[in-house]
Amino acid sequence: MTIAALTILGPLAAAALILVLRRVAPALAVAGTGVSLAGALLTLVRVAGGARYEAVLPGLPEMPLRLVVEPLTAVLAALVAVVSFFVMVYAVGYTTGEGGKVRFFSVMSLFAAAMQTLVIAGDWVLLLAAWEVIGFASFLLIGFDFERAGVGRAALRAFLYTRSADLGLYVAIFVLISRTGTSEVSATLGAGGAAAVAAGLLLLLAAMGKSAQTPFHGWLLDAMAGPTPVSALLHSATLVAAGAVLLIRAFPLLPPTVLVVAGVAGGLTALVTGLTALAQRDLKRLLAASTASQYGLMLLAVGAGSPVAALFHLLAHAATKSSLFLGAGVFQHAAAGSTDLADLEGVGRAHRRVFLAFVVAGLALVGVPPLSGFFSKDAILAASFASPAAWILAPLALAGTLLTGLYVARALRLLWRGTEEAGSVAGIGWMGAGLAVLAALSATLGLALPLVADLLGAPAPEETLLVGAAGLVAALVGLALGWRIPGFRLLGPLLGPSERGFRTGGGFDGLVARPALSAARALDLFDRGVHAVVFGVARAGLALASASRVADERGLDGVIRALVRGARSLGGRARRLQSGLVHRELLLAAAGGALILVFLAVGVIGL
Amino acid sequence: MFPVVSVTLFLPLLGALVLVFLPGLSARAAHLVGLVAAGLTLVASGVVWARGALGGGFSQVEEVPWIPSLGVAYRVGVDGISLPLVLLTTVLFFVALVFSLEITERARSYVALFLLLETASIGVFVALDAIVFYVFFEVTLVGMYFIIADWGYEGRQRAALTFFIYTLLGSLPLLLAILGLYLASQPNTFDMREYIADPPLTGLAAMLALVAMLVTFFVKTPVFPVHTWLPLAHTEAPTAGSVILAGVLLKMGTYGLVRFALQMTPDAFRAAAPYVAILAVFSALYGAFVALAQTDLKRLVAYTSVNHMGYVVLGVAVAAATTDASVAALALDGAVLQMVSHGVVTGVLFLLVGALQDRAHTREMGAFGGLLRAAPVLGWGFILAAFASLGLPALAHFPAEFQIFLGTLRVYPAGVLVVLGIVVTAGLYLRAIVTVFLGELPERWKGTKDLDARELLSIGPLLALTVLIGVAPFLVLGVVHETTRAMGLL
Repeated sequence: MTIAALTILGPLAAAALILVLRRVAPALAVAGTGVSLAGALLTLVRVAGGARYEAVLPGLPEMPLRLVVEPLTAVLAALVAVVSFFVMVYAVGYTTGEGGKVRFFSVMSLFAAAMQTLVIAGDWVLLLAAWEVIGFASFLLIGFDFERAGVGRAALRAFLYTRSADLGLYVAIFVLISRTGTSEVSATLGAGGAAAVAAGLLLLLAAMGKSAQTPFHGWLLDAMAGPTPVSALLHSATLVAAGAVLLIRAFPLLPPTVLVVAGVAGGLTALVTGLTALAQRDLKRLLAASTASQYGLMLLAVGAGSPVAALFHLLAHAATKSSLFLGAGVFQHAAAGSTDLADLEGVGRAHRRVFLAFVVAGLALVGVPPLSGFFSKDAILAASFASPAAWILAPLALAGTLLTGLYVARALRLLWRGTEEAGSVAGIGWMGAGLAVLAALSATLGLALPLVADLLGAPAPEETLLVGAAGLVAALVGLALGWRIPGFRLLGPLLGPSERGFRTGGGFDGLVARPALSAARALDLFDRGVHAVVFGVARAGLALASASRVADERGLDGVIRALVRGARSLGGRARRLQSGLVHRELLLAAAGGALILVFLAVGVIGL
Repeated sequence: MFPVVSVTLFLPLLGALVLVFLPGLSARAAHLVGLVAAGLTLVASGVVWARGALGGGFSQVEEVPWIPSLGVAYRVGVDGISLPLVLLTTVLFFVALVFSLEITERARSYVALFLLLETASIGVFVALDAIVFYVFFEVTLVGMYFIIADWGYEGRQRAALTFFIYTLLGSLPLLLAILGLYLASQPNTFDMREYIADPPLTGLAAMLALVAMLVTFFVKTPVFPVHTWLPLAHTEAPTAGSVILAGVLLKMGTYGLVRFALQMTPDAFRAAAPYVAILAVFSALYGAFVALAQTDLKRLVAYTSVNHMGYVVLGVAVAAATTDASVAALALDGAVLQMVSHGVVTGVLFLLVGALQDRAHTREMGAFGGLLRAAPVLGWGFILAAFASLGLPALAHFPAEFQIFLGTLRVYPAGVLVVLGIVVTAGLYLRAIVTVFLGELPERWKGTKDLDARELLSIGPLLALTVLIGVAPFLVLGVVHETTRAMGLL
């Protein structure tokens, strides 16, 4: 267990050391994730040999924190460790000559540590904690260039979107713990009944928020305000991946109704954000939309009843998407910091080796054999055809595959064509090293997938020749069309909405944020009214006094006059109460209290 | 056994007396006396903490007869609920006095008042005699009144008066309830332990007493609609006063809710629990939304107190309603931890806003921008505290809110609506962070200084506690749970 714990402790210690020492931040961060990587790989080997670990730590009363190492969590931990280590290596080059290294590398390390905690958490409290800390770290990283206009708002949106959806996780956990009386993840997954449906739907909501599924996908495109290594990590192995990880881990809980909803939601996302990717004018935004669409396919796989297919695609996507982002980061440096596709035209020609890695990763994502994505996409297609809801899931999966081909080809075309004029890139050595390994992984990871399936003891879905052929045709047609025809023309009337990411009714801002703010302002006004009323009650005495004086002056009859006199003296006393002479009033109160005590004393003794 | 509780209780008063009887003292010497007194008190409370509280009843009880014929006696002691609050009190007072070192205007009276207030505050939490409790409860009022009225900002007179009238009128019903308990107890006594062991009131009388207590404690906590004194008092109070007001005085409301309403009229509270829970949910959400509309940072933090204290009230209501001892313990654990967390976190937030106001002479969010560049320590402190306040795990509020929400779902499933509050608070704090600290630094704030040693010494320990409670909540919950579990078995 100690070795498995290193996956968390390595980056966590790095984050703390960086904050304390405030120097050699890059080296510490690489070392931290290196320790994490070593721990994760060693653990994976041991788990493959049949070992299982569990640790119980003090937490809340009757709800201890747990870490669990079993095949699934070990595989996930290895994935996170690999990506975070190589992204960190890349980041050393990326940040060459830039400021804010202490902040950047400490938060990146925290980010990695939190994600490792999420994947090996064995109880819901720790899982939720990690889930939220990941959101916090991404807020800080997306807002890294906090002085630039719009960056702060992008970070705010990312956190608020995901936190709104996080409510689903909170309530789901409450439902599960209430139902089963324990916070241990594995023990709650057998809940069943209405609780399982409710908790399942709530978990789905949370996963959709984190994994940027329609209608929550808007924040991910804005999150591109962060530095490129952040995007690489966030899209492949941390923040966005957390949603898919949650559903894969909670799969045994999910009843058929929830599965159908998850599948359809994922499929629609693949479609909607695939179109969005086709219309983007910025390389990083294109990749971001693509991320949402690929996670859509993973949800679809879960919905089709095959978490293994989803896990395959999670692994393949992690390698490919991190490579694509790292490549994009090099291009960005070459184009003086711009990721606008217009500025990047022909940049691939100038940096051929980086472009090669980009192409390999891109084709792997599309699913060209024998690259990794081919195997994972095949598994998803096979699962979707075998699912009871095949009539809807299979077409959506095919459409997602087609769209992937289209937008990847479009990106490649734009980066390759045009005039080559690009500057040199500082820190290319580190960046190239990180990129090369991840690109090699995207090419070859497919071979390891059967081993993963063996380890989990869950076979990948049976694929038929027909399904494999359909998938391949969809991918290749997409690639060919995308290379030949500009994306904007393909979209036709859909161009406008695609470019805006199909935001309806003003999106989150229009539907949630602005109404909430108006409600808040209205309540604030109301609150001032409440104060006036409550305070007014205290002044009622004064009002009564002045009213009585008027009545008195008009000369009413004696009985009323006597009443009024009483009221006036009351009012006068009330006025004195508000005169600010609190010392005297306090004395009166004390005297009153004493009087009561004396009364009591007499009463008690008398009795 | 050495009476540590009484020593903790009266050490600050001793310091105050020293100040009163040495009129020629310079400001520096006065502050020194204050720091020594508050520091020794902190140490003494540490000893009380180390001795701990065992089981369901009260520990470390010290008793001296006072008015035997009336059953009034000086009785003090602690259990798992009051113990963390005593420690919270001594920490916050020490920190507040450190932050106040810059005060030179009538420093002697200022420090003496704080020390008087400290004794009264500790007294409220350790009193085991209803009359002693009431006396301390009222004295805190006087101390805070003068602190706001004499060292506050522009509108201080009106704010102080509002505070005073509100809470003075608010506390009278409690006196009636105490008298009711006294008359019903056999033999007549003001010993709170008797009321708890064998609740003397039943039926309508118990319900009336409960309503009276609720009025008093709701004003103090505060709960909608009697919360409006809070933003006013906070904005006008000096920074250290705000820290004590939010960190310690508000806790007296919820502490009273547990100690009196829950423990002395349990059956009536069970009957009333649904209404209290509804009010608490409403109050929590209302506080969050109104805070969202604020542009004055101090008012913003003040309204989030309404939100956070609403969770505490909800936790107590849930504990009152359930017949399942483990759920009751869960909700109460959350409520008590939330009191501690709120004291620490809101303390930091008020200190930071105060530090900001000392520099900029404004608290309007819109006036700022990009301050993280000019004052990084201040900025990061605020970001950390704000995220703690919006319930980020590994920081103080999360474990408390988690327990309260979980307990709520188990007893009142619909009440779980209250989790919406954590999104609203996230929204308002992020907005404050983005507006004040992110973006480009305007020319006007270029020379803004970062936190100095005095500010760091007061803010740093509280930030450390915020992380400690978040990472290791069991340090506090261990002692709390021991008591709440035993309470549930009664």
